[in-house]
Amino acid sequence: MRFSDQFRTGWRNLSRQKLRTTLTIFAIVIGAVSVTVMLSLVTSAKSFLVSSAQKTGMDKRVIVTGSTGLDYRESTWNWPDGSGKRIDKDTLEAVTKLPHVASATLYSQVQMIRSFVLESTNQELEFKNLSFEAYTPNGTIKHLLVAGEELSEKTNGTGILVTTGVANDLGFKGRESELVGQKLVLKFRTDMGPPDARKADETAVITGVVMGENGDGLSVDLEWAVRMNTMEWTQKGPNGQTETMKESQIDRYGYSSVWVSLDDKKNADALMAEVAKLGYGAAAGQEEIDTQATVFTIIGAVLGGIGGIALLVAAIGVINTMVMATLERTREIGIMRAIGATKRTVRRLFRVEAGVLGFMGGLFGVAISFGVAIGLNQLLNKQLEDSGITDRDIVSISPVIALVVLLITTLIGMLAGSLPARRAANMDPVEALRYE
Amino acid sequence: MAFVQCSGLRKTYTVGDEEVRALDNVSITVEKGDFIAICGPSGSGKSTLANVIGGLDQPDEGSVLVDGVDLAKAKDKELSEYRNSRIGFVFQSFNLQAHETALENVISPLVIGGVGKKKERRERGMKALERVGLSDRAGHKPTQLSGGQRQRVAIARALVNDPQMIIADEPTGNLDSSRGSDVIAELRRLNSEGITLIIITHDPNVAAQAKRVVEIKDGKITERTGAR
Repeated sequence: MRFSDQFRTGWRNLSRQKLRTTLTIFAIVIGAVSVTVMLSLVTSAKSFLVSSAQKTGMDKRVIVTGSTGLDYRESTWNWPDGSGKRIDKDTLEAVTKLPHVASATLYSQVQMIRSFVLESTNQELEFKNLSFEAYTPNGTIKHLLVAGEELSEKTNGTGILVTTGVANDLGFKGRESELVGQKLVLKFRTDMGPPDARKADETAVITGVVMGENGDGLSVDLEWAVRMNTMEWTQKGPNGQTETMKESQIDRYGYSSVWVSLDDKKNADALMAEVAKLGYGAAAGQEEIDTQATVFTIIGAVLGGIGGIALLVAAIGVINTMVMATLERTREIGIMRAIGATKRTVRRLFRVEAGVLGFMGGLFGVAISFGVAIGLNQLLNKQLEDSGITDRDIVSISPVIALVVLLITTLIGMLAGSLPARRAANMDPVEALRYE
Repeated sequence: MAFVQCSGLRKTYTVGDEEVRALDNVSITVEKGDFIAICGPSGSGKSTLANVIGGLDQPDEGSVLVDGVDLAKAKDKELSEYRNSRIGFVFQSFNLQAHETALENVISPLVIGGVGKKKERRERGMKALERVGLSDRAGHKPTQLSGGQRQRVAIARALVNDPQMIIADEPTGNLDSSRGSDVIAELRRLNSEGITLIIITHDPNVAAQAKRVVEIKDGKITERTGAR
């Protein structure tokens, strides 16, 4: 029997039991939709993660720290406390000379701000659980820009970047671009340095609003940060004269780290080995991306597994449907055998029929999944717009997943149909013809 | 050599705890173009003999040589091909597929055998229906046909592959006498065209029309009558 005839016969047999066929297919559709949507959500989230990381240069980033053994996340928050090697201009110079370094900057996380005031609204925010990062704006460090532009030489040294969370707290959610160009007054802590050390307020100009890669906070030019970080006070000298004293945290403890942008992300390990030889610690951004991607993979496996269970249940439905079909069609099978159908033909006929059930389930399932993706994107686009992210339609059903799901449901159908198909094929034709 | 040569056929069924000897050392030959009636009471083993000669069943012992091929030792594929293209079956209960039209039923051996394209199948199916005088009923489902018409569709199905032999198991059993005689007349006409015919029957009127009658009882051939 030709495959086209088997397919036609199978199709016809299925359409004889419309309700049962529809219900069986429906079960497969549920399984196919859950597998497709869940896997696509995870792959979409993963690719969003990776593309975001590429935009900020995180995938090519290596952070050099004074302490060794820190992972990437710890490195970004690393705080010079005198325990590790000192990071200073000499470190930068040494690191810059290493192979594979495209650019590098000293980086500092300094806790010296007490609060900040948006001049236009006179709203004052406590500086709490925020980062205050400083770096040389030479292109090594990039952000996901929501409004305005990155710090650069033309931002005149007193430019400042605020993250979306800060913009939100300042009441500019969804209107981030209005913040650009506004003045932000920085007020300093009084508990650092001698009791009479006072630091006058500084005024920064907001150049851009960015997504915070490691939480929310402010970013400024390193040179300016060093100047701001310097406390001045006077004290009586040994001869009774008044002395003006200057000291900065950065001078005392050094910088937090050196951030490197690699020529190619493949060279992270090579550079990290070189850095280790110099006695510093190093962590690669790609490691963090991989870690997060692994989390997504695990979530994907769990969600896919749930979808898989749905498919398994659907497969049992296929077995049930086909067993019923073999019973109902016992006499038909007998007739087919009498007029020359081989066991193999009968077996294949039932298997093709079950395969058609699986294929139809997969086809509808994938089609519905595309619809679900469109719906999810409409919901998510609103969220993305609200949080100032320019990406849209991040949920996409990959054609590969769609094809694989289609293939799997067809195979599951055929596999589930195998047992009933064998039953049908092994029926004694004489007995089958007698069956009422 | 005879067209069909069965020798020493034995076949035992187990029904519950009881062993039933359906065939007990049966030997029979059928010449090409012959018309044989196999008679006997129900349970005598005549259907089993027909099924064995028709390649639907295989004996426990003995050989069934058809054109030199031993069906007793044949594999499923060979047997199926034999049933599909060499012989035609006609059953008491017609055994038509209820969901298919007369034409679809008639061409089903061609579909199963993978013979021809759609057009050729249709032509051959219509030709077979014409031979039994039912070309105007091609699009009817079996339920829309009378018993006699259904049996003629079954005969057309048996004919469609131009078989060398037709095996009819109680072909008139479900028909009234006038429709029954139509069917037997039809089969006799086919026999006169050269097709070997084996009819299983317990109707003496049907048996009387055969060239040879074989009586079977308790699985044994008890009597042979010569040609009319």
